[in-house]
Amino acid sequence: MKAGDLRRALRDALLVGALLWIAVTAAFVRDRNKDATQRALRHAQAAAELVAIGDTPPTPTAAAAIVGAPVASKQHGFLRRRVAHTAAGERPLGGPTAPAVDKLLYDAAGRYDKDGPFVAMLSDGSERAVAAVATARGPAIAITAGPEPRAPVPWLAVLGHLGLMLVLVGVGAVLGGRARGVGVALGLATWAFPAYFAGGPGLALAMLAVAAAAGWAHATGATDRAIASVRAHKVALSFLAPAGVAMIVLVVVPFAVGLALGFYDHHHGRWTFVGLANFKRILTGDGHALSDPLNFWFILGVTLAWTFVNVMLHVLFGTLFALILRQPWLKARGLWRVLLIVPWAVPNYITALIWKGMFAGEYGAVNSILSGLGLDRVSWFSSWATAFSANVATNTWLGFPFMMVVALGALESIPKELEEAAEVDGASSWQRFKEITLPHLKPALGPAIVLGSIWTFNMFNVIALVSGGKPGGSTDILVTDAYRWAFERGEQYGMAAAMGTIIFLLLLGWTLIGRGLTKGDEEARP
Amino acid sequence: MSVRRPKLPIVIGVHALLAVATMAVLYPVMLVVKKAFEPGRQFALSPSPIPKHVTLEHFRALLSARGSHGQLAFLQHTVSSLAVAIATTVVGIALSCTAAYALSRFRFPGRKTALTSFLVVQMFPASLLMIPLYVLLHELGLLNSLSGLVLVYSTTAIPFCVWTLKGYFDSLPRELFEAARVDGAGPIRIFWTIVLPLARPGIAVTALFSFMTAWNEFILASTFLTDEGKYTLPVMLKSSVGQFSADWGQFAAGALLTSLPVMALFYVVQKYLVGGLTAGAVKG
Repeated sequence: MKAGDLRRALRDALLVGALLWIAVTAAFVRDRNKDATQRALRHAQAAAELVAIGDTPPTPTAAAAIVGAPVASKQHGFLRRRVAHTAAGERPLGGPTAPAVDKLLYDAAGRYDKDGPFVAMLSDGSERAVAAVATARGPAIAITAGPEPRAPVPWLAVLGHLGLMLVLVGVGAVLGGRARGVGVALGLATWAFPAYFAGGPGLALAMLAVAAAAGWAHATGATDRAIASVRAHKVALSFLAPAGVAMIVLVVVPFAVGLALGFYDHHHGRWTFVGLANFKRILTGDGHALSDPLNFWFILGVTLAWTFVNVMLHVLFGTLFALILRQPWLKARGLWRVLLIVPWAVPNYITALIWKGMFAGEYGAVNSILSGLGLDRVSWFSSWATAFSANVATNTWLGFPFMMVVALGALESIPKELEEAAEVDGASSWQRFKEITLPHLKPALGPAIVLGSIWTFNMFNVIALVSGGKPGGSTDILVTDAYRWAFERGEQYGMAAAMGTIIFLLLLGWTLIGRGLTKGDEEARP
Repeated sequence: MSVRRPKLPIVIGVHALLAVATMAVLYPVMLVVKKAFEPGRQFALSPSPIPKHVTLEHFRALLSARGSHGQLAFLQHTVSSLAVAIATTVVGIALSCTAAYALSRFRFPGRKTALTSFLVVQMFPASLLMIPLYVLLHELGLLNSLSGLVLVYSTTAIPFCVWTLKGYFDSLPRELFEAARVDGAGPIRIFWTIVLPLARPGIAVTALFSFMTAWNEFILASTFLTDEGKYTLPVMLKSSVGQFSADWGQFAAGALLTSLPVMALFYVVQKYLVGGLTAGAVKG
């Protein structure tokens, strides 16, 4: 046995173990808080029920009383006074000498009048629960005294577990050979036990998977190589670290959570694992016919049409204006350019709201212009074609300047001599466009088109603010539909997350295809 | 494309076409300017972009409107917007300067992957992360808070800053760093005393962009902020032309006050933007 083997095995086990420790601790804390919350809610409910039948609650409460209906104050008609009936007698709520909990009782009574009996945590972060139960004289309200005691951290079990892990890893290292990797894997696999108790079978399985991967990486020497490489590039990596860590916390973790949420169903704050059910529901159209605007394939069709039409118009207008602006004989070129990129400068939510206002109503600006030209007024948002056109008009307006600026940049790179030579040689304008201008435009426009198509594919603001999906959700695109799943159809976050995953896969596929397409251009770049 | 000047009718025709197009482009903007100075709540009573009567009433009403606690509402929303946009910019720049430098000057395994992932994250909009971020912030109790919104904005601000700054660092002369290294300066010293001072213009431009992006963001703010007192300006402007009571006069006045400063900024820095965006796309 070599001392280095033992050191390396312990190092790997402790590195990976630290990560697992964070995950298990987070699950433990969450579980413990949930447990405390549930106990607080139970205590509040039980106390309120006892108050309702005139008993004193057994557990300590911050306040417990039956609160009467609001009565207008005699001196100040706008004040509504309530009376609290407690075991000690009857007293008005509030006033200069009243305890601070009176406000909580008063608010709870108000909530009871609105919602009926309820039990909930106070939203002031004090971890107290409040419950209201119906009685003949008004709601019986109980507020728990303070945070519920939390289960202690099982330090002894933690210590024992740590010891077991180190022993398993150590034995593996001492045996040497294949056993080294197996030892690391087995040692880390012990994390499945606390994970199972704190976070359930899902977390335990995840621990086992990580343990197996770590064991394999150790056995093949992958961890040694990774650590050597980190040492060799430690300056670069430490420069990269702030943004890298932030990206992991802010993007990678939420992204992974988003992927996972797609496999769960969310209902009234409860998450249930449903496997691929959400994806199945989406991809089979959720019981809607293919021609129904709520069917996924219909929305996908609208999204693709939306993206294609918009990007085409952006490129068309952008290139057209760029070609015009480039003419040396054009007067006041700088001024035209400044004016034509105004739409890019306007914040796009303002653009969308303006255009919505211009299309809205019988007397909106667009309809006024139409009738001034002797045409019929159009009710823009009552048919698919007109609502879609309104969205496209808005998005074309705000999007073409980007393509124009990109095209202008590309055109500037054409050497003057090349064109002069072509003209001297008698090439026609079309030939010059096809042989000189177009090859210079393509390498810049290719990536811009990929980028622009992704922006348009996700152009939430225009759809949501101009047509709002009208009529009947038929102009919705995938991102606005995902938003509706989350925030307009009863918090179905699982469906929304599944939709997000599908959108991501579509965009990923498109980016890869787009990169393949533009790569050829880049190589051909002059 | 012609190098020679074409015939006069063509020249006039092209100028006329350009004038018509520019009118069409400016028309919606002129309508807003008109509405801001024209009395009445309706958006357009006539298609003309010139107001018949001029009033400053909308600005006065907007600036003196008070919220539920008697505070000046527009001022409060401006402060919210400023706080979020400035905090996002500071977080974005502070965290990405060193990373951009590392990606520009050092060669290390995983560099390509890091570059691509920063690019991909920047291209994929925050709306993809919206649902998980919403759920996570809900669990953390950070919903309806400006600091939660800063976290959400940072998801796109950081990769954007990394890419733009990297482009800028790439353009600094390599010999300078070599000389400093030969003179015995360590990587931290080179970064602090040579790179950062030289890159000040690039950092300023990047900061302005990320400020503008946060300042103009609507959908995430409207999803994550539910308390009217915390609304940023875009959310407040949208709510002034809600479904049931639309006051286009106040909207237009607010839109002008909100967007004129950032539009001016946009013109100052826009020529740098295209370079950054497409350089990223081409090289990625």
